[in-house]
Amino acid sequence: MRRSGRSSKDEAALAPVGTSTAWSKLVIALLFLVLSVIFLAPIYWMTVGSMRPLGDLFTRTANIAPTGLSLDNYWRLFQEQPYGRWFLNSVTQSLGFATLTVAVCTMAGYALAKYRFRGNNLIFLGILASQMIPFYLLIVSLFVIIIQLGLKESYWGAIVPLAASPIGLFFMRVYCVSINDEMIDSARVDGANEYRIFWSIALPNLRPGLATLFILFALEYWNNLLWPLIVFLDKNNMPLAVGLAGVVNQYRVQYDLLLAGSALATLPIIALFFLLRRQFMEGASFTGTGVQ
Amino acid sequence: MTTASGEAVGMTATRARVRRRRLSLLDPRLAPFVFLFPFMSIFVVFRIWPLLQAVQMSFQDVQGVRVNRWIGLENYRGIFDNPDFMHAMANTFVYMIMTLIILIPLPLALSALLDRGRTWRPMAWRVAMFIPALTSLVVVTVIFRVVLAEDGLVNATLMAIGLPPQGWLTTASLTIPSLLILATWRWVGVNMLYFNSALVNVSRELYEAAEIDGARGWQVFWHITVPLVRPTIMFVLIISVIGGFQLFVEPFLLYAGGNSPGGSGLSMALLIYRTAFTSFKFGEAAAMGVVLAFVILLVSLLVFRLTGGTKALR
Repeated sequence: MRRSGRSSKDEAALAPVGTSTAWSKLVIALLFLVLSVIFLAPIYWMTVGSMRPLGDLFTRTANIAPTGLSLDNYWRLFQEQPYGRWFLNSVTQSLGFATLTVAVCTMAGYALAKYRFRGNNLIFLGILASQMIPFYLLIVSLFVIIIQLGLKESYWGAIVPLAASPIGLFFMRVYCVSINDEMIDSARVDGANEYRIFWSIALPNLRPGLATLFILFALEYWNNLLWPLIVFLDKNNMPLAVGLAGVVNQYRVQYDLLLAGSALATLPIIALFFLLRRQFMEGASFTGTGVQ
Repeated sequence: MTTASGEAVGMTATRARVRRRRLSLLDPRLAPFVFLFPFMSIFVVFRIWPLLQAVQMSFQDVQGVRVNRWIGLENYRGIFDNPDFMHAMANTFVYMIMTLIILIPLPLALSALLDRGRTWRPMAWRVAMFIPALTSLVVVTVIFRVVLAEDGLVNATLMAIGLPPQGWLTTASLTIPSLLILATWRWVGVNMLYFNSALVNVSRELYEAAEIDGARGWQVFWHITVPLVRPTIMFVLIISVIGGFQLFVEPFLLYAGGNSPGGSGLSMALLIYRTAFTSFKFGEAAAMGVVLAFVILLVSLLVFRLTGGTKALR
């Protein structure tokens, strides 16, 4: 995958080709204005709806203006569900998952990018090909395995089985290939051992890639449902997605509470996104449509 | 004499040093395997091992964790007699093909419109289209349950512009369209990022040459842009095929307990989940998973062949 061209600097270097008249520019801008309104409307509606009573949510005449808002739904959410626990679980599990995954993928990606040994290519291609195995084929036996290992209801059971990510390995291998070999060789001549080289030469050079991958995997876990849904039955251990899914599938769905819960799960991520936009967008274009 | 014995001494010394180094964790030849070890051990225990177990289970009658009885192809025969299986397979195929039809041309065209100064602030528009990708699928389904409801925002908008409201979540024939609306909203921005990074790499000279030859807008797009971003189109095609086949959360949560009207939203993954964790027929669920894996493999290979194979990826 090529990584160029997402920063604003590159944007400036791409001077317009041909004759983009002001009119055509305007038409395109208007098109995207309409599209953006459509694409952002559901998020806006979720936010506004989360601060309104249930009765205002389903009406034939939608009140689009942000009026009649209160935080009542949020207070009730925290009283009726262990939402604070879920949020905290999501934070710790997402950070733990991202740390573990980035660590194992970086080491493995470095080994495959910078060492020549028998079976190197075979291992790489085999791991990549395993991405095609649908996760649903594995869930039954994975479920049995974590029961046998005594990992059900545990954080480890939720994060370790997903940590050997082929996508993460692929990403880090691409990044590691770009490390300057001469730097590594000169460190070797100076007598540094391989682990020292990895720690003090490779890792500092990988920093942008590490950040991107970390955010990517933290987000992936934050949004993941299926595997944590199987690991956790106890309400106190669940991450947000599983807790919310439980509320969704109740007999009488409390949409007011659900919207409050959804907004609280989403808005911090959007805020974080604006702080770390480059890493987010670089990482997102790596995982693609629903690949787990 | 002296030289010969000196050589011999030297050789034993080297051999000894080699042997000593072979035992050391600091041996450079050992390093790649040390680096690979954590990944590979997780990979083997939690991916390869369950894969083998799943294949084994698909030939067994699984009663709880310990008592397994070999029953040959019984599970496979069972699933092909199961009308739900064929139904789920058909739904999944229709959904997957429709996502390909929407989620490749649309983001490609939109990224092309934002390429090379065709309008102002391209990054801002890209960001706006990307924000839905930050939402968890659980949240997406919550939002769309509210928005697509009988008295929801979409119907209110339709009525405001004089169109009849629709039973988006209650009419069987609108289930796949609703799932597609959801997928479009969630993924267009992500696929735009892929195409954007491909378009940036198309050389400026090519566009200029085409222009000198008198090619205009649509012709340039069709004859220059599309062939040059073909590797990316292939990549998005394959991940969309794999992703489409894994459809689970959306129909599971958009309808209470995954019960879409007339089973119109039953996907393969949802059926496997239910067979395993509602009916506790682990063997049958494993057999379905094996069949699904083969179908994904075959379709991916087919896509690969149809689009020019590995050559196109380079």
